[in-house]
Formats: sequence, C-alpha cells, structure tokens
Amino acid sequence: MIENEIAQTAIQLILLALVILLIPASWRVVAGPTLPDRLAAVDLITTLLIGVIVMLALVERTQVFVDMAIALAAFSFVGTISIARYISEGRVY
Amino acid sequence: MLDFLGVIALLFGLFFSAVGVIGVIRLPDALARLHASGKVAILGLFGLLLGASLLMPSSALRLLTLGLFVLLTSPVATHAIAASVYRRQEIAKELTQELAQDSASPEAPPFAGVDVTGVITRSRIQDILDAQERATRQRRVDSDKRKS
Repeated sequence: MIENEIAQTAIQLILLALVILLIPASWRVVAGPTLPDRLAAVDLITTLLIGVIVMLALVERTQVFVDMAIALAAFSFVGTISIARYISEGRVY
Repeated sequence: MLDFLGVIALLFGLFFSAVGVIGVIRLPDALARLHASGKVAILGLFGLLLGASLLMPSSALRLLTLGLFVLLTSPVATHAIAASVYRRQEIAKELTQELAQDSASPEAPPFAGVDVTGVITRSRIQDILDAQERATRQRRVDSDKRKS
C-alpha cells in the first residue's frame, strides 16, 4: 500500500500536527465569549477529528476508520443543528 | 510518485486546517470565526481526503462518500450557527452601528422603529433591549421578595 518510508513518516508527522491543532480549538470552546462561539468551536473540533481519523486510517492501513469518520460526521451534523436551534429559539423543534 | 502527490495533498489540507484554527483563535467576531472554521471544513478536510485517497486507493469510494457528506452538511451547520448568532443579536458593534447610520435617512420613517427599507433601527433595538433588561430586573426583584 504505502512502500515509501518517507511517506509513512510524513503521514505520522501530519497526524501529530492535526492532533496538536485540536488544542487551540478546544481553547476557543473554553474561552469563547458567547454560546454560538462555543458551538462553532465544537463543530471545528469535530471536523478536525474527522481529519485525524482519516489520518489514523492511513497510519494503521485499515478502511474501518473511514466508516467511523462517516458516522462521526453524521452525528456531528445532527448535534450541531439541534444545539444551534436550541440556543437560538429556546427549543429544538 | 502517487505517494509523493498524496503527501503534497495532505500538506495542503494541513496548511488550511492550521489557517482555519489560527483564524478561529484570532478573529474578533463570532461571524468572522465561523468564516475561518469553514476553511477547515472544506479546504482542509478535502485536502486530507484527496491525499488519503491517493495514498490508499482501495478506500477511495468511502472517502468520496465522506467528502460528499461533509460538502452537503457543513454549510447547513454553519448557516444554523450563524442564524443563532443573528437572532441573539451578538453581531459586532461596528456592524450594528453601520446599520444604524445607513438607516438614519432624512425622510421620516413609515412608522416608529422601522426605517424606509423596513430594517429595524438601532434605537428600536435599544428600546427592546432596555425593556428586556427592565423585565429581568423586575423578575429578580419579585423572586427576591418571594424568598424573603
């Protein structure tokens, strides 16, 4: 699948960089002044996590992680929509 | 060669993810931060997905499904968050002041609180906010009375 040793090392370094990017994003969840800010930051964290899971699939050379990423995307969409409706209208539907 | 192209695409995605996260930290306004996080969702994630499908061609179909799903859902979610920002009136002061200057037209408004274009004027918004604040203060006084 991936024969090149340099490519393998580069993939692991990119995975590490993506995980490090999660730290400032979660700082915005804690510090964000308003409620929609925190929700947007949580949405950003989920998007980054999808990227992390795809990179994990590359490192581990399995396709199961990609299915996990699809499920995470679906759940994050439903959660973001319902929380956004809740904080703007006071009820979910 | 395919590996090399894949790593280039992954670096593209990582670059835009970093740009989006830096924007979410540093931009001053909730709507501007939403703009930055959209870069992560589309450019960053699509770079990563393209690189992954070049490096692991057997899973390209699943990655394409994931990409199409994110392409459909990410703008909808961002729009929902932006609508909640707008309804809670948490737009930056500069924007609302600009709106008030725009709506301060020489002609008399058709009726109080709404200007010619139908936009609620700044003073009307201030009136609503004041009324809400008075109501919450009254409620707090009432609950204090009930406690004592």
